[in-house]
Amino acid sequence: MSKQNKSSFFLMLKRMLFGSKHSSPEDIFSEEQIQSPGITVLKTFVSNKIAMFGVICFLILFLSCMILPIFFPIENAYQDVTQMNIAPGFDMLSVPKSLSDNGKQISGGSTFGVGIDKEGYIYEWGRFPNEKLKNIPKDMGKVVQVSAGLDHVLALDEKGQLFTWGNDRFMLGDISLDLLGVTDIKQIMAGYQLSLVLRENGRLYTWGNENLVRVSIPKEVQGNIDKFVSNTGLVIVLTKDGRIVPLSNNTSAFHNIPEEVQGNAVDIALTDRAGAALTSQGRVYTWGSDSYGLLHVPEEIQGRVKELCAGRYHFVALLDDGTLSAWGDTTFGQTDVPSGSSFVSISSGYFQSYGITEKGKVEKWGLKGYLMGTDDFGRDIFRRLLAGGRMTMTIGAISVIISTTIGIFVGGIAGYYGGKVDNLLMRLTEIVSSIPFLPFAIILSAVLGSKITEAQRISLIMVILGILTWPPLARLVRGQVLAEREQEFIIAAKAIGVKEAGIIFRYILPNVITVIIVNATLDFATCMLTESSLSFLGFGVVEPNPTWGNMLNTAKSSKVIGELWWRWVFPSISLGLCTISINCIGDGLRDAIDPKSNER
Amino acid sequence: MATAQYFMKRLIYIIIVFFFVSIIMFFIYKSVPGDPVRMMLGNNIANPKVYQQQYDSMRESLGLDKSLPVQYISWISKMLTGNFGFSIQYRQDVIRIIAAPLKNTIILNLFSMFFVFLISIPLGILTGVKHNSVLDNTVQVGTIVGYSLPTFVTALLAIFLFAIVFPIFPISGVNTPGFTGTGMEKALDTLHHMFLPMLVMVLGGVGSVVRYVRAAMIDVLRMDYIRTARAKGLREQVVIYVHAFRNALIPIVTIMTGWLISVFGGSVVIESIFLWNGIGKMMIDALNQRDFSVVLTMQMFYVVLTLAGNVIMDIGYCMVDPRVKLTN
Repeated sequence: MSKQNKSSFFLMLKRMLFGSKHSSPEDIFSEEQIQSPGITVLKTFVSNKIAMFGVICFLILFLSCMILPIFFPIENAYQDVTQMNIAPGFDMLSVPKSLSDNGKQISGGSTFGVGIDKEGYIYEWGRFPNEKLKNIPKDMGKVVQVSAGLDHVLALDEKGQLFTWGNDRFMLGDISLDLLGVTDIKQIMAGYQLSLVLRENGRLYTWGNENLVRVSIPKEVQGNIDKFVSNTGLVIVLTKDGRIVPLSNNTSAFHNIPEEVQGNAVDIALTDRAGAALTSQGRVYTWGSDSYGLLHVPEEIQGRVKELCAGRYHFVALLDDGTLSAWGDTTFGQTDVPSGSSFVSISSGYFQSYGITEKGKVEKWGLKGYLMGTDDFGRDIFRRLLAGGRMTMTIGAISVIISTTIGIFVGGIAGYYGGKVDNLLMRLTEIVSSIPFLPFAIILSAVLGSKITEAQRISLIMVILGILTWPPLARLVRGQVLAEREQEFIIAAKAIGVKEAGIIFRYILPNVITVIIVNATLDFATCMLTESSLSFLGFGVVEPNPTWGNMLNTAKSSKVIGELWWRWVFPSISLGLCTISINCIGDGLRDAIDPKSNER
Repeated sequence: MATAQYFMKRLIYIIIVFFFVSIIMFFIYKSVPGDPVRMMLGNNIANPKVYQQQYDSMRESLGLDKSLPVQYISWISKMLTGNFGFSIQYRQDVIRIIAAPLKNTIILNLFSMFFVFLISIPLGILTGVKHNSVLDNTVQVGTIVGYSLPTFVTALLAIFLFAIVFPIFPISGVNTPGFTGTGMEKALDTLHHMFLPMLVMVLGGVGSVVRYVRAAMIDVLRMDYIRTARAKGLREQVVIYVHAFRNALIPIVTIMTGWLISVFGGSVVIESIFLWNGIGKMMIDALNQRDFSVVLTMQMFYVVLTLAGNVIMDIGYCMVDPRVKLTN
């Protein structure tokens, strides 16, 4: 019984979607029965395959743009130069197999990772911002320490020799002359276009692009350094007597180091917004700016922390029982630490983190990659595409509502009252329709747009689009109303004393509504196209607010079109698919409503 | 007689619309932020008294001390006598800098229009005659795609295919920079540069024209005289090309005449992508440089074009179809 029910349900669904071709004898009788025009229209529409393709396609796009941003939120002001122009793909965490069971030390860079196994071999994986990163030096012995930076790598072998590869500008390609013949190296770090090396005697050496990270080492600190950490703007050191010193002359939030840790610190970690220090009692103290909840150390880990490390906007702590804990930004899952209680060491790249267990197994979490790559400001194109789609569709929809409302009113009044009113309104219609559309919209938004806020600007664009697109609809409605007005049922309604408003809304409007719906659908596509064209030219919605049009604004150069294809292909596909499907729906509706055009 | 009267009425009416739009444009222009006098004088305020004097005399010479209606009248009378103002960007009178872009725009548009009609009329006839066939349905879907895709997306695709994957055509410009050659060589070079923008324009235009021709064809083929012609035993080709197409031509010619006038107005998007030095690009450049006398001239030019296009379409309609009587 239930099976039969199910199959009939699917049959019905199939008929609903694709129409019924083979009708059984009962169907012939039911066809004979009188069908309301609405049902006929619906049936014809549903049997139109192109139109149904449009409906499905548009629904998918619409729902993704409305629902998915809940799961993939976007911060408009967010920019990250370290994540610039990354191709789509999810291989940033794909640690090679032979390393992932036998790891000794791992270092995460901007979008790639470097690791050494217990035999001292080097492995690299992820997205390389610089092709030279693939040229791993051949003459290295057993590597004992490795560090990945923005776009270069620093490695130390067991003989105490340093190697570097990757970005070789700013003298990064050579080892500093001060370190010639030096074999007592304690810690190395490839930072933000800066190489840092600490010797056993507590002296820190730096070379590379010192415009980005300015390091000035006070005399009393140099020679007394135990450990150092760095982010994209600053280096902080931990001295041998447990004090924390930022190596910068400019005072910033990073200088507000809590007094409790000075002289008592055993480990430090530094994100781009905040620093954290670990005391010998296992307590973590944080300072800096409180973005992404970086300053809120989970209370339950206090007193149990053994080691700290930090990515760009997150902290990871290794606890004394071998488990992990993390806090801070989790946009890319940076704080989704793996469970397990046998971790012996941790390390964090920019958005990736790695933990190594006692057996040498490598666990990794954080940013795997970007579904659709990133743009020239390091923003995730997929998230921007969703937000941009929402913006484009909202603008299109509201402009259509404005233009349809004006069109119905002007056309309806002109058609119903006729005479002088008609003449006046139609002249107005002609004035508006003789304004050249795109140039006028560009000028309006250029002239008025400079003195208003972004939200006002967006509403201005909606209003401009709405105000300039109503004339065709007004003419159409007027024509329809003129025809309906002379029908006998209207005369009858007048004769029985129906009020004018009643006649217009109860008797005439329902007969005109089909034309309006078709027109509004097609207008929706036109408005979206116009908005995108405006934004594409830079006169519509402007950065940082995304729309499908302005995402293509920067894609005019041949470099972007040829090499960075993901920056224009995805917005183009979504915009094209959306307007095509809306036009398919509109066409299908017109065919369904107008039986004459259906024969064509 | 009625027709002549109609056109008189129409002309008067166009003039009224023109003035209306020009008033709107003028006030938009006036609401541009920034004081033009202060911009011209610069920030050289060594002596406030002298500066004030200079400021006042400049204001007076520019006529900015008068009331807005007076300013409008002096502006529109200058406009009508061909004095379009001075371009800050090119340091020349606007009328002098319009010629070259106008020529480029006309060349590009004429070529693309030619190809649009060359492709879409036969295609429209074919799909109209064989309507509801596989070919027709394919073309129908193709035309929807054609007119739905934004021009900048087709432009990006065209650049990707024909300038990057297969580097056959140059991406931008009207001529190769520093090109020297005789007239013929130069013309060929221009044609080479024109291919991509033309392709994009043709792709965008074909969609709507094919649908138009097809619809007109289907309407005509349903007429009784076609049945008569077939009943007489005329060959199908004669029926289609002599009897049907001639009458289907009526609406087609109408839109063609409408298009004719649009030859003078450049496409803003296409010209700015392909850096085709035409009218549309000139307007965008002027807007970016805040060169508002050029912008205003362009805008009025577009208004005149649209209005003229409407009238020419009416005339075309009247001439092609003698049954049409234009009244009101």
